[in-house]
Amino acid sequence: MSNLVSIEGLTVTFTGRGKPVRAVDHVSLEVEKGSVLVLLGESGSGKSVTLRSLLRLHPEKTSKVEGRIIVDGHDIMALSKTEIGDVRGRTVSMIFQEPMLALDPVYTLGQQITEAILRHEDVTPEQAHSRALELFEKVQIPSPERRLNAYPHEMSGGMRQRAMIALALACRPKVLLADEPTTALDATVQIQILLLLRALQRELGLSIVFVTHDIGVAVEIADKIAVMYAGRIVESGSVADILHTPRHPYTRGLLASRVERAKKGDRLQTIPGSPPDLTALPAGCAFAPRCDKATAACREQVPSLVTGAFDHAVACIHA
Amino acid sequence: MTALQATTPVLPPIARSPGYWSGVVRRVSRDPVAMTALCVIVALILMAVFASSIAPADPFKSAMLRRLKPIGTPGFPLGADELGRDMLSRLIYGARLSLLMGLTPVPIAFIIGSALGITAGYVGGLTNTLIMRTIDVFYAFPSVLLAVALSGALGAGLTNALVSITLVFIPPIARVAESVTTQVRSLDYIDAARASGAGAFTIIRVHVLGNVLGPIFVYATGLVSVSMILASGLSFLGLGVRPPEPEWGLMLNTLRTAIYNQPLVAALPGAMIFITSIAFNVLADGLRAAMDVKS
Amino acid sequence: MIPAPDTLVTDPRDRGGPAQSLLSVNGLVKHFPVKGSGFFGRGGMVRAVDGVSFDIRKGETLGVVGESGCGKSTTARLLMHLIKPDHGEIIFDGEKVGIDLPLSEYRRQVQMVFQDSYASLNPRLTIEDSITFGPRIHGMAETAARAKAHDLLARVGLDPSRFAGRYPHELSGGQRQRVNIARALALDPRLLILDEAVSALDKSVEAQVLNLLQDLKADFGLTYMFISHDLNVVRFMVDRVMVMYLGTVAELGEGEAVFAAPSHPYTAALLASMPKMDPSERTIEAPLTGDPPNPINPPAGCRFHPRCKLAEPVCATIQPPLTASAEGTSQAACLALVPQSGHTHAAKLLLPVQDIESMLMPEASA
Repeated sequence: MSNLVSIEGLTVTFTGRGKPVRAVDHVSLEVEKGSVLVLLGESGSGKSVTLRSLLRLHPEKTSKVEGRIIVDGHDIMALSKTEIGDVRGRTVSMIFQEPMLALDPVYTLGQQITEAILRHEDVTPEQAHSRALELFEKVQIPSPERRLNAYPHEMSGGMRQRAMIALALACRPKVLLADEPTTALDATVQIQILLLLRALQRELGLSIVFVTHDIGVAVEIADKIAVMYAGRIVESGSVADILHTPRHPYTRGLLASRVERAKKGDRLQTIPGSPPDLTALPAGCAFAPRCDKATAACREQVPSLVTGAFDHAVACIHA
Repeated sequence: MTALQATTPVLPPIARSPGYWSGVVRRVSRDPVAMTALCVIVALILMAVFASSIAPADPFKSAMLRRLKPIGTPGFPLGADELGRDMLSRLIYGARLSLLMGLTPVPIAFIIGSALGITAGYVGGLTNTLIMRTIDVFYAFPSVLLAVALSGALGAGLTNALVSITLVFIPPIARVAESVTTQVRSLDYIDAARASGAGAFTIIRVHVLGNVLGPIFVYATGLVSVSMILASGLSFLGLGVRPPEPEWGLMLNTLRTAIYNQPLVAALPGAMIFITSIAFNVLADGLRAAMDVKS
Repeated sequence: MIPAPDTLVTDPRDRGGPAQSLLSVNGLVKHFPVKGSGFFGRGGMVRAVDGVSFDIRKGETLGVVGESGCGKSTTARLLMHLIKPDHGEIIFDGEKVGIDLPLSEYRRQVQMVFQDSYASLNPRLTIEDSITFGPRIHGMAETAARAKAHDLLARVGLDPSRFAGRYPHELSGGQRQRVNIARALALDPRLLILDEAVSALDKSVEAQVLNLLQDLKADFGLTYMFISHDLNVVRFMVDRVMVMYLGTVAELGEGEAVFAAPSHPYTAALLASMPKMDPSERTIEAPLTGDPPNPINPPAGCRFHPRCKLAEPVCATIQPPLTASAEGTSQAACLALVPQSGHTHAAKLLLPVQDIESMLMPEASA
């Protein structure tokens, strides 16, 4: 299976006010065509920053991006401003956590989708409009014709999320990036959106890179999971491997502290301490201060990601 | 759990972080542009205070033979005005009245406007509607027109001009105060304070003021230059200071006809107004930037 | 998890003994005018809380779950008296709040921890000042209040010498939430309302705070009302649970019973919507379609009937009362439980089926 997305040695440093923050540190990963990769991590893990690098969304002045990113044969870092504009929306598209921030409040949804289509493809406005209608049907929005003339604020949360997915799919991208799209949704709506994404992925052969902090969501949608901590990938593998046989102490701690597994009245298992300050990362493994298996060797050198059987990779010398 | 300590406890020392305002002062002091503006303002104030020591000549002494001398005339470094008075001295003395008219209305309007706006913003409901809609009526008038109308009604003279300018500034300050207070009011820590049983005055004093006065203050600082220009305008129209007092706006008026003979001399008072206004605006911008910290 | 009666009776403020509910809510109603419906009365009302009754027993943790628009946050604010109810009464340990029990005294006994840890703390006050604010309002001297603040900070796991003099923006989300808990405890409340108190925290931090909440409950003899949208957390924390939908109570009962065998179709759908933890058993079909509706024009009769799989014509006509389930472990507002309601699933006879069979065919019961 060919790799549609290939990231090698991605490092992103933010140099705005104050000390430089290394948000992503030498991240390498691959996404096969037609599969779903979930970036799992807590706040500060670098998962959203990694995602946004795929579309070169970071402000040029205050961020430094190093490494290679290849998406569908395009070298993202080497493209010019016009070329990256062509890639965005056409080859790679993105959906966000908060649809109200992604949708323009002064245009109807129909106008926004047709605008996107007309930007990338050479079709008539009527053709674009009927494509928009098709998309609304595909994302299961009821009364699609009427809803195309609606403004974002007139729709409910779940409907807006579906509209944003329709907008993202308007130009038939090959890769869909999803930045915590279900975090702000109610449980009953969240499962609908996850099922919709799965169905669309199967039908359109999309490759999806999905960012979340919720293990349950990851299990429902992922083929592969990459666990991130302090800007680095600490473990990656198939969803079954990560869930049933986690090898990195952080992944183990994360899975063990899940509330689902505890009985009422127990004390939850916790990972002691708190996530590190990204402006002052310790030398060596970033998780060592909180790890019960840490030895002197851990604190000296950052462990590299070593791939074992069945593509299950771990960055830990004690795994 | 409910028993208090029997004796006064000795508390161990705790690490104290610098507060918000000390952070603001620190950031402003590191801003070169704002510091330059501050120096200019301080220089102007000192110039006004020590005018009698600095000015080379008597600003009121006129000499008809030496009318409208150009800049650089011996004895008149910046020229002479239409009555032969030394421009440099008049400009230096003029700082007194101009700065007075610029600086006095603002703090008074700040106090009154903030009180109205904070009350309207915190209490909400009918009180808010009454206060804010009344203020809107005044706000609907362009400030210059309103100032002229009020001055005309009160009569010319320094005090009346100050009163009318103060009245002109109360509505915009109240508006800013109400808007910021409404935002703060909706935050959870106000609810938490209400939930602990505190009364409205206590909550305003402890929780609202500290968060609200900052933005209002920055807005008010920007009004100083407006105040100066309004005052100058009123004097220009004959509604403020009367001749022969040296005041930059009044000087612009009386030197009107000299534009064709000595344009540079006629422009000097305008230049002073310009410099002072810019300095205050730049300082206000620097304050705003220093206060807007997303830590 | 209800502690032995001794711990409850020791609290000198206790009035009715362990059998009396700590908080009893009857027929709570709160409607808000729709924004922008203006002077000339396009007058829609948001029926945020529309007839809610429940009680909280001493020493228990009552969970409150529901989705957007269900009214759980409004209910919390009504209980805190931050907004005034349109109808209904709140009775605290046998006394009517505002009538028998003065509001200031009520406020000392019921406190709340909010969801947004940053917006809950005044950014201009130090941590210490935020915590001492409440006790000082009620007359405590400054040094005593500060001592109490330091003690509480230590109890919630924050070293006072490091944290008391800091400002909220210097703390992480988890630390701020601990401060909020300490602040809520500063007035020695008996009931703590936790409104999505852990929802905004990272999972690993959430686990720490949940452990802390359990410890504090035991140490201080507290009663909790735990509001959350995360059913797993609720299942872990609570003794009883209340499920809300569109401003009404859909189900109320023993936590384990409700989670294992929900009586209300909405509860069942909510539980089925939780992501599965097994990749080989992923969800195939969404239990509910559409979004949670807007409480502006709720459906007639049972609020849930437009989306309910068991809905029948009778459901649109009557608003079902809370009725005990067959096992008696919970109550649900569903006509299928009300005998002779007209619903095809409702019992038509008063006897359970087994007893009838045994009466008719005695030899078959062997």
